[in-house]
Amino acid sequence: MSAPAAGRSRSGLDRASVEWVKLELMRVAYATRGGFLSRRDPRAVIAWYVVGAIAPWFTYDLTVLAILFGLAVVGALAARIGPLLLGLFVLGLLGELVYLLILVLVLGHDWSTVLDLVMPTLKLGTVSLVSMAAFVSLDPEKISDALLALRAPAMIGFAVSYGYRMIPVLIDEYQTVVDGHRLRGAPPGPVGFLGRRAVVRVCWIAVQAFYPLVLNTAKRTRTTVEALETRGFTAATAAGSGGLARSLRLARLRFTAADGVLLAGTVLAVAGAFAAGAVLPK
Amino acid sequence: MPTPPTAAPTAAPGPACAPGPVPAIEVTGLTFRYPGATSDTLRGVDLRIEAGDFVAVVGGNGSGKTTLCKTFNGLVPHFWNGDLTGRVRVHGRSTRKRSVADLAGEVGYVFQDFGNQLVRPTVRDDVAFAPLNLGLEDWAERADEALAALGIEDLADAYTWQLSGGQQHLTALAGSLALRPRVLVVDEPAAEVDPARAAAIYERLTRLNREGVTVVVIEHHADLVARYARSVVLMAGGRVRWHLPVQEALARTADLEEADIPVPQVVALARALDPAVAAGRAPVPLTAEACTDLLAPRFAGHPAGLAAGPGGLEPGAAVGPTTEVVARAHDVTAGYLSVSGPRSTVLDGLSLTLRDRERVALVGSNGAGKSTLLALLAGLTLPQAGTVEVGGRDTRSVSAAELAGTVCYLVQRPEEMFLQDSVRADVAMFPRGRGLPDTDELVEGVLDRMQLTEVADRDGRLLSGGQQRRATLAIALAMRPRLLLLDEPTSSLDLRSRDDVIGLLADLAEYIRCTVVATHDMHLVAEWATRVVVLDQGRVLADTDPATLFASPGVLRRARLVPPQVAQVGAGLGLDPVPLSVEELVERAEGER
Repeated sequence: MSAPAAGRSRSGLDRASVEWVKLELMRVAYATRGGFLSRRDPRAVIAWYVVGAIAPWFTYDLTVLAILFGLAVVGALAARIGPLLLGLFVLGLLGELVYLLILVLVLGHDWSTVLDLVMPTLKLGTVSLVSMAAFVSLDPEKISDALLALRAPAMIGFAVSYGYRMIPVLIDEYQTVVDGHRLRGAPPGPVGFLGRRAVVRVCWIAVQAFYPLVLNTAKRTRTTVEALETRGFTAATAAGSGGLARSLRLARLRFTAADGVLLAGTVLAVAGAFAAGAVLPK
Repeated sequence: MPTPPTAAPTAAPGPACAPGPVPAIEVTGLTFRYPGATSDTLRGVDLRIEAGDFVAVVGGNGSGKTTLCKTFNGLVPHFWNGDLTGRVRVHGRSTRKRSVADLAGEVGYVFQDFGNQLVRPTVRDDVAFAPLNLGLEDWAERADEALAALGIEDLADAYTWQLSGGQQHLTALAGSLALRPRVLVVDEPAAEVDPARAAAIYERLTRLNREGVTVVVIEHHADLVARYARSVVLMAGGRVRWHLPVQEALARTADLEEADIPVPQVVALARALDPAVAAGRAPVPLTAEACTDLLAPRFAGHPAGLAAGPGGLEPGAAVGPTTEVVARAHDVTAGYLSVSGPRSTVLDGLSLTLRDRERVALVGSNGAGKSTLLALLAGLTLPQAGTVEVGGRDTRSVSAAELAGTVCYLVQRPEEMFLQDSVRADVAMFPRGRGLPDTDELVEGVLDRMQLTEVADRDGRLLSGGQQRRATLAIALAMRPRLLLLDEPTSSLDLRSRDDVIGLLADLAEYIRCTVVATHDMHLVAEWATRVVVLDQGRVLADTDPATLFASPGVLRRARLVPPQVAQVGAGLGLDPVPLSVEELVERAEGER
């Protein structure tokens, strides 16, 4: 058995960190931090995202890509993506760099291959940063309004906002179920080489815990479906995307001059990056 | 299969609402069978609900209460399209040709598991959801109006998943009110909230009723029915047995008992102690105050109260400080992180010692720190400051998994305890996981003792509410803990299942050394506990026995507790100690005679 040695103590970080990750996800999902994009019209934010996400794919010029990447970093920081997403992103980037360095050593200083690999890394990095900046700034209502405005089926807009409503509940329930497994299941044995067995145990519990979660959710949905009926959602959806409900909901969206300035500025910045790439030495 | 309408003739509703020309709801000869079911759920229902009435629908589990109410807003037969004969009219118009969405503007419906009725992330958005869907131009005003009518404007921008149960219920209610329905159906409003909040919800419903809304509630708690309803519909076996004004209805104790509705304690007291009420010559009292006034002359000669009879519970102190300590929390501070940033403190310098042979009830309003304290005692969380010791071990020095053999924590929602695909596997999970040698005998013994053998191969989720609690208690018993922690074991149970759980808890005493129950249920406190710890704002406000607690108005008010009616009557009569059960008060009164 794995009784901890006398004097060793739990710090409580195991639970605290799960709690922190959960809250951080909520802050990201519900756009609680503010940032320059969170005050904009959701359609403008989505347009901004499309510009930022597409631009890198039109060039193979490393200078342009580096400038775009730099702009995306600034954008992401200004949108306040928070420590969790930033940390994960930096971790991924560092992993990529280490991988490239090893590759250089193995391939015997063949830098051209490495440059070929840096290119997609920069492109994907830019797209990731822009996506994070956009979605951190949209709360669920804004996303579902924007989807509705873009004529996505009403069901998709609803599913997104319902997902946002349910995820915190499901995370809590999942945590309780995992705790149940930890407390009532077989106690952890020896951790094994490099903690191999501990990892297997954690994964096994993580998978097992989905079974009650799925069944409980299925049970829960019965009332939700009836409620959607009594609250007119089913009827409104059946009326199609041109229904009265849609126009009422969208009436509160305002595309202001500031939104126009944001988009114009973004397009100019991207154009500037391309122009700079043509001028600057490779 | 047209069943002839066999219900007793419907009596005139409460005196406060004279029969109008057009009733709010009129049901004639209604028979309904769910698709795929082998028998009818409703069997010839005839019912007339006048506009402006406040109706309580009572009846045992499976009597068809909820199905009947779902015919009012068209969910039956438009969503549940089974076999339906007969007719339902809402304000004179048949529901047969109207859609559920159309009827929603006329009949608001709040479900029993109201949390699942909320589908949008924020409160304001959820309340505006229905008027938006129905394409009402003034949806924003309607939402604001509904929020204001319930006094929850300050919640408008809160996220629905952050709300407490009571707040979620109000949000669901506001979501229905936003359509300005003239009829409101609420399925078990008091199931999951503390008594003070249940009373608050009923006060709001009463106000809506005064403003002209016809209110229909499905309710198990006879004392709430007595206090707030004007007329009562008794359902049994898919039929309406009678529809009577509340005072007459509650006097029919035999009918109510037969349908598993225990009569309110005040009615039982008055019938036992007042010959005129027992003979039906005087009306039954509906509130503790009325009952106190009725009984006061009988007790007038004995100002100091009557000596405690044999039914009196021993106070917690009787166990004595000499028994062994099971768990101890010393100067504990704990809290949690919130989305908006700062760490909030839930428990603030709390100290508590739990001893052998104690049955402890942990009470206090929502958010007082009950669940946090249970999680600390279970070792699931660690205190920020102070120490928690269970079985002599500091929870900082052992993992929660190791503590599981000493302390068992049953969470509030039983579904979250069912991790396997059968009750038997769930009960066996702990002993098997630990490789105990006598696992099979232990499991069968526990299943047998808890009367679960018949359902042992079914998934716990498919059992009834009462059976689910039974199954979670079986899981706990198979873990053979020294300390058992339960979070709200009686919430959302009908009264029969609740008494059953209280009985089981009492039986557990010989296997488990100390049991702690966090609860809002004052009947559980009165009937089961030997010690009550009242939490308020993260501190221990009082640590005493139930009778003393129920005689301390200051503590009760501060912690928002409502004692059982018999204790209220006892306190009103100046009895010391306060009686904890109807039998006890009756015995004491008769012993004196």
